[in-house]
Amino acid sequence: MPEAVAGRTGQEIQANADAALERRWQRRYLVAALLRSPTFISGLVIVVFWVLMALFSMHLTQSPFDVNPMSTLQAPSSAHWAGTDDLGRDVLARTMAGARTVLFIAPLATILALLWGGIIGLITGFYRGLIDEVIMRLVDVLLSLPVVITSILILSLLGSSTAIVIVVIGVLFTPLVSRTVRSAVLREREREYVMASRLRGERSWFVMVGEILPNITGPIIVEGTVRLGYAVFTAATLSFLGYGLQPPSPDWGLTIATERVFVQLAPWTVMFPAIALASLVVGVNLITDGLGRVFSK
Amino acid sequence: MSDAPVQEVRQTDVSAPAAVDVRDLEVTFHRRGRDLPVLRGIELRIEAGEAYGLVGESGCGKTTLAMAVVRYLAANGTVDAGSVLVGGQDVSTLSEEALRKWHGEAVAMVYQDPAAALSPAMRIGDQVGEVFRYHEGLSKVGARARAREALRSVALPDPDATMRRYPFELSGGQQQRVVIAMALAVNPRLLILDEPTTGLDATVEAEILDLIEELRGRLNAAILLITHNLGLVARLCDRVGVLYAGRLVEEGPAREIFTDPRHPYTMGLLRCVPRFGMNKTDAALQTIPGTLPALGERKPGCIYADRCPMVKSVCLRREPDLLGCPGDAAARARAEAEAAPADSQAASPHNANPVGEAAHHARCYFSAEVPEMPLTTPVLAATKEAGPEGGGDVLKIDTVRRSFRDGRKKLVAVHDVSLALKRGETFGLVGESGSGKTTLAKCVTGLIAADSGTVSFEGKRLRPTAGRRSQAALRAIQMVFQNPDSTLNPAWSTRAILTRAVRKLGGGSGSSVRAKVDELAADVRVEPRFLLQKPMDLSGGQKQRIAIARAFAGDPTLVVCDEPASALDVSVQASILNLLVELQASEAVSYIFISHDLAVVRYLSDRIGVMYLAELIEVGSAEEVFKPPHHPYTEALLSSIPTLDFDDPHQRIPLRGSMPSLSEPPSGCRFHTRCHRILGDICVEQEPPIQEAVTGHTYKCHIPPDELLQLQTATEPAAPIEV
Repeated sequence: MPEAVAGRTGQEIQANADAALERRWQRRYLVAALLRSPTFISGLVIVVFWVLMALFSMHLTQSPFDVNPMSTLQAPSSAHWAGTDDLGRDVLARTMAGARTVLFIAPLATILALLWGGIIGLITGFYRGLIDEVIMRLVDVLLSLPVVITSILILSLLGSSTAIVIVVIGVLFTPLVSRTVRSAVLREREREYVMASRLRGERSWFVMVGEILPNITGPIIVEGTVRLGYAVFTAATLSFLGYGLQPPSPDWGLTIATERVFVQLAPWTVMFPAIALASLVVGVNLITDGLGRVFSK
Repeated sequence: MSDAPVQEVRQTDVSAPAAVDVRDLEVTFHRRGRDLPVLRGIELRIEAGEAYGLVGESGCGKTTLAMAVVRYLAANGTVDAGSVLVGGQDVSTLSEEALRKWHGEAVAMVYQDPAAALSPAMRIGDQVGEVFRYHEGLSKVGARARAREALRSVALPDPDATMRRYPFELSGGQQQRVVIAMALAVNPRLLILDEPTTGLDATVEAEILDLIEELRGRLNAAILLITHNLGLVARLCDRVGVLYAGRLVEEGPAREIFTDPRHPYTMGLLRCVPRFGMNKTDAALQTIPGTLPALGERKPGCIYADRCPMVKSVCLRREPDLLGCPGDAAARARAEAEAAPADSQAASPHNANPVGEAAHHARCYFSAEVPEMPLTTPVLAATKEAGPEGGGDVLKIDTVRRSFRDGRKKLVAVHDVSLALKRGETFGLVGESGSGKTTLAKCVTGLIAADSGTVSFEGKRLRPTAGRRSQAALRAIQMVFQNPDSTLNPAWSTRAILTRAVRKLGGGSGSSVRAKVDELAADVRVEPRFLLQKPMDLSGGQKQRIAIARAFAGDPTLVVCDEPASALDVSVQASILNLLVELQASEAVSYIFISHDLAVVRYLSDRIGVMYLAELIEVGSAEEVFKPPHHPYTEALLSSIPTLDFDDPHQRIPLRGSMPSLSEPPSGCRFHTRCHRILGDICVEQEPPIQEAVTGHTYKCHIPPDELLQLQTATEPAAPIEV
């Protein structure tokens, strides 16, 4: 049977009342709803674990840089729970410490992407017209480039410091964010409160930042967590390929790259950073799913 | 259960199974761990072939009741007690599979939005045919033949062409006809109409009502009509139930409910609606104070006690049963006597009501006193001062034109409209959707720029867009929007919204802004505590009040109101309209008031303009426009409103065909394709002159005023002439 859909009066009021109730509930109980979502909670537990490791693992484990030529490529034991690598460094300590670099690069890159994408999305969505046309075509061009290959090209050109890695990932993710923000702005700008602000003589930047932006935080947050997952992934890929971080950094991508020659001899040297990387990406994606479900309710 | 006596009465006539027999129904919704009773102790009986109307404001449980009847409640709703028999079949005992089959065979539903009920990707013929293929196992060819027949039965012109179309190629009215054709395809025993005409224009609504009325004669289906439009129920239904906060508070024959209501809520609802011909200078509208109790709130006494103007101490102690109304028999006798010189309406089974002696019950101890229920607002508010002042025109619109681009087509949405407005005057703008009302309003406020023509304010020409107008011009012309849920920024507190408006429009600083905000809130009767809230914590009426306060922040000269109350319940609508009238009296502001509700426009306006297909075809004082001689379109529009007046002899004038496209407006007179008073070639070929009926009342038609007057006052309605 067909569903009733809001139209102009009677039923719309009902639908609106429900929607209002729903929204009120959402804001007020957003946290409660998230905390009741098993998806979100498991994601949160994983990510919080890695954040704690990034911050405090140096106090908990042995030093990730201590070389011990006497015990190289040792299998996991009571002394080294995850074994040692080719230089006799503790794999567990390096895996835990490896969270530091990725949790530095990925969030910063994501924030840059949100910032630039947010600005571009607001402007194109708000002004429409020629600006929109031109920028959105540029965005299409950027989107058609493969992320990893493009970033390798840029990094080869500009040198590959951590800062440049962050900026490059940020730039490459900007188009996707700007699309999401633009579509949210397009929806919002037709609402009557925006018209009312124009009748008040508000400046465009005020309408964009003061009126529209606070009402599109939901999609921006969800988009941000999606990007964060991909940023972790991309950062690891780039360091695996030798861009960005250099040895002896315990970064996961880098470690997997350097230790992969020993994978048959000492699989733990690659396995633990790989599991760590996968778990972080899964954790972030679980958070994304949880958020997305709550926001779209 | 307290309804025992009533139930006993009903059990006496269970010989033939009723189409719907609901007993002691309790429905609860489960929401975030809380149980919210939505319906309590509902008793309802609809006989085969009977049309039953369910009225009440939104949130009273009308749709829930209908859904419970067909066992189609949302997943979080459960029937806790009571039984539902549809055609003698206990709905609760059906298995999932049997229920699905039964849904297909015995019940049919028509919802508000026909576009959502049709699959956009399927041709009409396939969609309607599918019903026959699925339910009757017909072959593709057989199903098509039946589909064609079904479409013809709902009076769709050219069924063969319609079959090949996609839903988006049909108008809203035609779509609803298709939905009705599909609903009736299975020959249901129960037809549920849930706000079937709510999104449709008045003339289309009237056509759909004609269709439903006509189909009733042919089918033996019982009809359950859910609507907030009392006029609709009055026109279509035999019996009416009034639902308030999940309780049936009054039930009886339609005529009695509307002419002699016996529950204070019903009385309140009826008094809220502006009667046709009423004007703001006659009387303020009555309102229902207070709000609907929150779901799950349970009190010992009468559920309506806290809003009732005639509440007594006994009402708070114990809830009354559905009691037979005193004077009921007499009222019935009178009603029957009146209906005796049978007009077509009374010949329908209006009075063939088999529910026993006490056909009219109300859940009120004092139903005998309801006819003398005290008024909730003083009859004469400050309305006398409202109305136009002398002096020059505040606003002058001169040959404004605005077009939009739709692909390669050019749609002229406003075609050379000119009008003038005096200070303190209300100009009502009526017309069906797509007639250009809102576009014209936005040209005035500067939300969109006119392509040509000028808008002048106090003698000075205004710049076309708001962004280029001076702050003084912006302050002077403000707007109140239609949708209470998007008119306020959901991220801002109410105080922030008003403060910003006062700062930008009124100026001033610090304490003076604060004082002005408090004053505005007081003016629109919003309690100070709501200023701390965000819009989502306000009711629809409160949001609209804040929106009005925002428009008045800079002491405007002209406020454009685009359907400001049409998304609200009638009692709230009445208080918003009263507020607008009061503010006009105290602030000497002019209004352009847009509405599709003619009674509301008539009530509020000093002058009225009627728009049809982007043109202003008639302008005059509210009184003049609404009586002959007036434009044939206005005549048709007026005739299409369902009224509460049962003895009103007015004959509906059906409009032929559908609204022509704005991209190719008809030649000559734009209305000639649908006009029932068409003269002939002159209307097709020549643009009609603007004729003056009386001073200040002009219309655009070839028929001169005296002739038009004669035609429109003649008792015999003119038969539509085919071109």
